[in-house]
Amino acid sequence: MVKFYGLLRRHVPKAAVEIAADGLTVLALLRKAEEEAGGAFLDELLDRERGLLTGTIILVNGENIRLGQGLETRVGAGDRVDLFSPAGGG
Amino acid sequence: MNGWMGKIVKLDLGTGVQEIVEVGDETRRRYIGGRGLGVKLYADLCSAATDPFADGNALIFMTGPLTGTLMTSGRYQVVSRSPLTGTICDSSSGGTFGAVLKAAGLDGLIVTGRAPTPVYLSVHDGEVDVRDASALWGLDTQQTQKAVQAELSAKASVACIGPAGENRILFAAIMNDKDRAAGRGGMGAIMGAKNLKAIAASGGASVAIADPAGYKDVASRLDRMVDKNPVTGKSLQVLGTSVLVNIINAHGMFPTENFRRGVFNDAEGTSGEKIAESLLQRQSACYKCPIGCGRTTRTKDMSGEGPEYETVWAFGAHLGISDLTAITEANYACNELGLDTITMGSTIGCAMELCETGAWTAGLRWGEAGKLREWVTDTAYRRGIGADLALGSKRLAARCGRPDLAMQVKGMELPAYDPRGAQGMALSYATSNRGGCHMRAYMIAPEILGHPVFLDRFSTAGKAELVALFQDVSAVVDSAVLCRFLQFAVGISSFAEMLRTVIGLDFSDEELMTTGRRIYTLERLFNNRAGFGRGDDTLPPRFFNEEFQTGSSRHRRVRLDEMLDDYYAVRGWDKSGAPLPRTLAELGL
Repeated sequence: MVKFYGLLRRHVPKAAVEIAADGLTVLALLRKAEEEAGGAFLDELLDRERGLLTGTIILVNGENIRLGQGLETRVGAGDRVDLFSPAGGG
Repeated sequence: MNGWMGKIVKLDLGTGVQEIVEVGDETRRRYIGGRGLGVKLYADLCSAATDPFADGNALIFMTGPLTGTLMTSGRYQVVSRSPLTGTICDSSSGGTFGAVLKAAGLDGLIVTGRAPTPVYLSVHDGEVDVRDASALWGLDTQQTQKAVQAELSAKASVACIGPAGENRILFAAIMNDKDRAAGRGGMGAIMGAKNLKAIAASGGASVAIADPAGYKDVASRLDRMVDKNPVTGKSLQVLGTSVLVNIINAHGMFPTENFRRGVFNDAEGTSGEKIAESLLQRQSACYKCPIGCGRTTRTKDMSGEGPEYETVWAFGAHLGISDLTAITEANYACNELGLDTITMGSTIGCAMELCETGAWTAGLRWGEAGKLREWVTDTAYRRGIGADLALGSKRLAARCGRPDLAMQVKGMELPAYDPRGAQGMALSYATSNRGGCHMRAYMIAPEILGHPVFLDRFSTAGKAELVALFQDVSAVVDSAVLCRFLQFAVGISSFAEMLRTVIGLDFSDEELMTTGRRIYTLERLFNNRAGFGRGDDTLPPRFFNEEFQTGSSRHRRVRLDEMLDDYYAVRGWDKSGAPLPRTLAELGL
């Protein structure tokens, strides 16, 4: 399950999509999610070199991928992936 | 004088005597303005023995050298001793009031004494006129602002109190420019104790700029940086601060039912995304602000400003309430009556748990949305259970024999981030000079949001240094005075440049950081003299003893003991939390 939050929802028609993610990297999953969700949202999360933008939050089962292998983090079957574009508040 | 109007007035409301307070160049350099200069002036005028409601207490409205200049510079700071906490306190508000106070010819206004009958102040052309407010007493904040504008000028910017301030509710806010609030710490109650209903400012004076060409250059670069940054240039504009609801909930640290859980199942229904597609009418912005994080909203029956993130939480997840309309209308009530939404909501949550445990028998229940506005209103007037809620959570829980159920630090209720989910934020709460507040060192930025760098939220390593650094930078920005949201887009060097072009003084990054440290340490000295020490630099026992069983912050506890000694060492304080003589000497205190 991939869930979209924040500004990403302006690019996709649904707030979540189911993707067979078994063994994919997060980067591959994001590309697949763009296709399946029917909207281009990657520019809200990644920079031109396709690295994470400062402030992008991607959680796999609640764990920030920056503490794992970043965009190379592997996603397993049944994992939940939460995608947040850079945000702030107080 | 570049950056300043050159006039701070001290007014004794008891005698009507006014005097001009002279502040030397050296003091302005060492404390900048706003919060820093306000705290310095307060510490010189009052002592730790001063009762917040005593005639002798001073209530200080301060602008900064940047007020009325660059973007977001409409803010002002209110400094005094908090009746809620007993600590030194500064409360900040946006809108335009700060900029207009300077346009009216004043850098700051110090109010002492107590007027024999209700009054309001009109500031114009550098003069302060004391006017009768008998007819205004009892009006809410919206009615008051309109009535004062009708009497003076539609262009006047008005800061005022509502019934909550008049009734000295310990967490009464000062409201200005409709719905902007100096919310935390009960500064509105001090106005009430002084019989001071409002301060209105109007005028057309402009701030002298030391280096107009450099200033123009800095302003356009600031425009570009804020526009380019995805937080200030996009997210805050489209979704407001409540974009945080889903983020903090996904991290399992969205305080639910008085911090008993970290995941609120109905978070989505109260999120910034949901507000944008339901209640939002338009963005609203403070003086010269291109961000416009404010939300002008409408429910079926009412309209107003908000809710923002903290308020969505305080009247939502914290109470087990997911009815966005009820949350929003409770927010409107706080704005109209002049109450801090965080302390109000947090106290109701504390009351709900007290009732559930049987420690109190008032009958408040989780999820009870239908009575929110009634409870808020009754609190402002001290009616029924409102008289009990008006105590705030610390006093209420203590009276019921369960002080552990008040989610507060030094008497101020915690905001919407469970400290078990971010160890740096825990240290920030524990060591905040005004109690349980997120604005002294917003460690959520690095620990959750990844600004300016991403840190492991569960690690305690290096957090002591960072909390101290964030506290010092925040003190500088609060003293300049600009909106803290600019920190998402620019760093300390940019603030130094802004100060240089406006005042004409070169500040190195190091000098600014030392200045922040001086301000923070001066605040700490005041608190130490008021009896606060190491034992107060802590959190409610729940955060050390209880763990969440679900969510991504499960099985975590706050590990303050791994950070507090390091923090004191970084600060140059002894193990009791008192600044060492060499630290005071270094800072010239």
